[in-house]
Amino acid sequence: MAEIVMPRLSDSMEEGTILSWLKKVGDEIAVGDEIVEIETDKANMAYESDLAGTLTEIVAEEGATLPIGTVIAKVGDSGEGPAASPAGPVTEGDSLAHPRGSSPSAPPAEDAEQTPAAPAEAEPAEAGERVKASPVARRLAKDKGIDLSTVEGSGPEGRIVKKDVKQAISAGDAAAAGPAGGTPGPSSISPETAKGQVAYEDLSKLQSTIARRMSESKATAPHFYLEVEVDMSRAVQARGRIKAAAGEGEVVPSFNDMVVKACALALREFPRANGAYRDGRFELYSRVNVGIAVAARDALVVPTVFDADRKGLRQIAADSRAVAEKVRAGTITPPELSGATFTVSNLGMYGIDSFAAVINPPQAGILAVGAIVERPAVRDGEIVPAHLMKANLACDHRILYGADGAQFLARVRALLEEPLSLAL
Amino acid sequence: MAELRMREALRDAMAEEMRRDEAVFVMGEDVSVFQGAFKVTEGLLDEFGERRVRDTPISENTIVGTGVGAAMGGLRPIVELMTVNFSLLALDQIVNHAAAIPYMFNGQAKVPMVIRMPGGGGHQLGPTHSHSFEALFLQVPGLLVACPSTPADGKALLKAAIRDDNPVIFIEHESLYGVRGEVPEGEDEVLGFGEAAVRRQGSDVTIVGILKMAQVAEQAAQSLADDHGVEAEVIDPRTLRPLDLDTILESVRKTNRAVIVEEGWPHGGVGANLAALITEQAFDHLDAPVQRVTGADVHMPYSKRLEQAAIPHEEHVIKAALATTEGAL
Repeated sequence: MAEIVMPRLSDSMEEGTILSWLKKVGDEIAVGDEIVEIETDKANMAYESDLAGTLTEIVAEEGATLPIGTVIAKVGDSGEGPAASPAGPVTEGDSLAHPRGSSPSAPPAEDAEQTPAAPAEAEPAEAGERVKASPVARRLAKDKGIDLSTVEGSGPEGRIVKKDVKQAISAGDAAAAGPAGGTPGPSSISPETAKGQVAYEDLSKLQSTIARRMSESKATAPHFYLEVEVDMSRAVQARGRIKAAAGEGEVVPSFNDMVVKACALALREFPRANGAYRDGRFELYSRVNVGIAVAARDALVVPTVFDADRKGLRQIAADSRAVAEKVRAGTITPPELSGATFTVSNLGMYGIDSFAAVINPPQAGILAVGAIVERPAVRDGEIVPAHLMKANLACDHRILYGADGAQFLARVRALLEEPLSLAL
Repeated sequence: MAELRMREALRDAMAEEMRRDEAVFVMGEDVSVFQGAFKVTEGLLDEFGERRVRDTPISENTIVGTGVGAAMGGLRPIVELMTVNFSLLALDQIVNHAAAIPYMFNGQAKVPMVIRMPGGGGHQLGPTHSHSFEALFLQVPGLLVACPSTPADGKALLKAAIRDDNPVIFIEHESLYGVRGEVPEGEDEVLGFGEAAVRRQGSDVTIVGILKMAQVAEQAAQSLADDHGVEAEVIDPRTLRPLDLDTILESVRKTNRAVIVEEGWPHGGVGANLAALITEQAFDHLDAPVQRVTGADVHMPYSKRLEQAAIPHEEHVIKAALATTEGAL
């Protein structure tokens, strides 16, 4: 009998929600079979079994949110029946009958401390919603009307302890300044206030992650911004020619693909821009992976174009279309959303001239790209029409300083203004 | 106040009670002429004579049985068993007679008797001479169990034990006999059974230390404050039956965390029992599972290093305390 645990499907994943079981108890499963669909902080994905055998027990019900490492199902040898006794369904007593804790024959010395701790560690994963919280945290939450499922636990294995509930209470008190008390339920509607009725919506996991990471970024990474105007006239010409020359069904790189490629080449030259400030050190990465901010329904995700410095424009175009399509379809997987070393965000399609973006931590910078607009420009004393585009670089000053950021951004501009260099 | 060693404080307790009450007498192996294997009965023979300070044969069940009879007959014997280990030979008299007789005769017969016995490990005396049997005696209804950790408590508790009409198991720790401490003077310094001492005030975790482990707990609490910013409250129950559970629960309700430290074995130990009581009566106040620090689940090794590894030390207490505060402070 082997156990399937909640897998870690992304770097930042701490817990996952069981969306649906794709196999049922008694089904034979092979390595690589999709067995369960899991919602992580980044995406929904089908989890492929790395075990083969018979699915003997589903421990985690659909809808359950569990920390990684928690047992979600059990797999027995092929032919091994379901875990239930032949007489009927599994009772609580049956599941507790599994030996747990340490036996008195365990080795000495260490055992003295280990023995008492063992039962806690061996606590079986409880099916479904039960939140792990200390008794005093539970009592406090009940007294104060705090929903424990909304509280993040800081104790061992994510246990909610008294401190967490107290924080939730003070956070709630602060938030309750407006409408009178009460904890909002999912999508609940409050009574009439000066602002009319208030509709409350619970965040999806992804939205929670965005909220957390964006506040973390602004709170911890000192941002400063550099802006340049890039003359995209030649890029516009070049793209026109590529388009004209493209055969049936061939991908034509977008201006954003060119920006991605230009950033990738410049990142290669400026290692700190392709790095991160983390735990008091610089991390400098050997691969140049550019994330592209893509709006999804009700959310924002950043799929990654890996090794963008080594890929041709057409490959970048093909990659970015593929991942953007997956984002819209909701089939993007965590590996495709992680590993970026820099991010490009483009709001040009909405007619935005320029904007300043929030760094996607722990990256060193993010380039915010505006629309390409035809405007008068002065060239050699003459006023000429030009296709101009604003690019704003947000830098984390802990790793990317003013002069470095400026040189990096100048290099991006130079590459875009001579698009032939992007093809080299 | 006088500064005394534990053995002197215990001797004074016996001498004072013997002066106060003719019915009090001492008997045991080598307690008279040799003045006790640990010299706790020093000077008693000179002052009180052979009739009241009696050497016995090496026959523990007989010694205790004689004490039971004497107690039922109206005397107040203080029986010394040379060590806790030898009490095993006298368990029939202790459990089936001393503890049961008041119950069997509905209180018409009393057994006002004190059975003193030193124990504990740390002196390379191997598996048969290093026991900590607090839990074993704690389990028996009808026995009071004292386990003092300071000379002052030793004296005041022993006097109270001698005056009590119930049989009292009075457990002394061999490593504590030489420990000095301030002892209040006065014939009537008696400590009631069931009064715990709060050795140190703290807000973050309650550490209950039994016998010598009360001192280890205090040392650990100092390190927790100095090195980890954790303020531990240290409680010495002083008697296990009756147990001052109120003081412990009051502390746990304040700190939300508890660690119990004892030298005995882990399974069915004092800590196991106390952890259950805390969980039953202060469940809604716990912020972490109650931690136990105990002796190792082995017979006491002879090798010095192994023996030390089998006995709880400050570092184990610190580790357990930090386990209860992980992520919580």
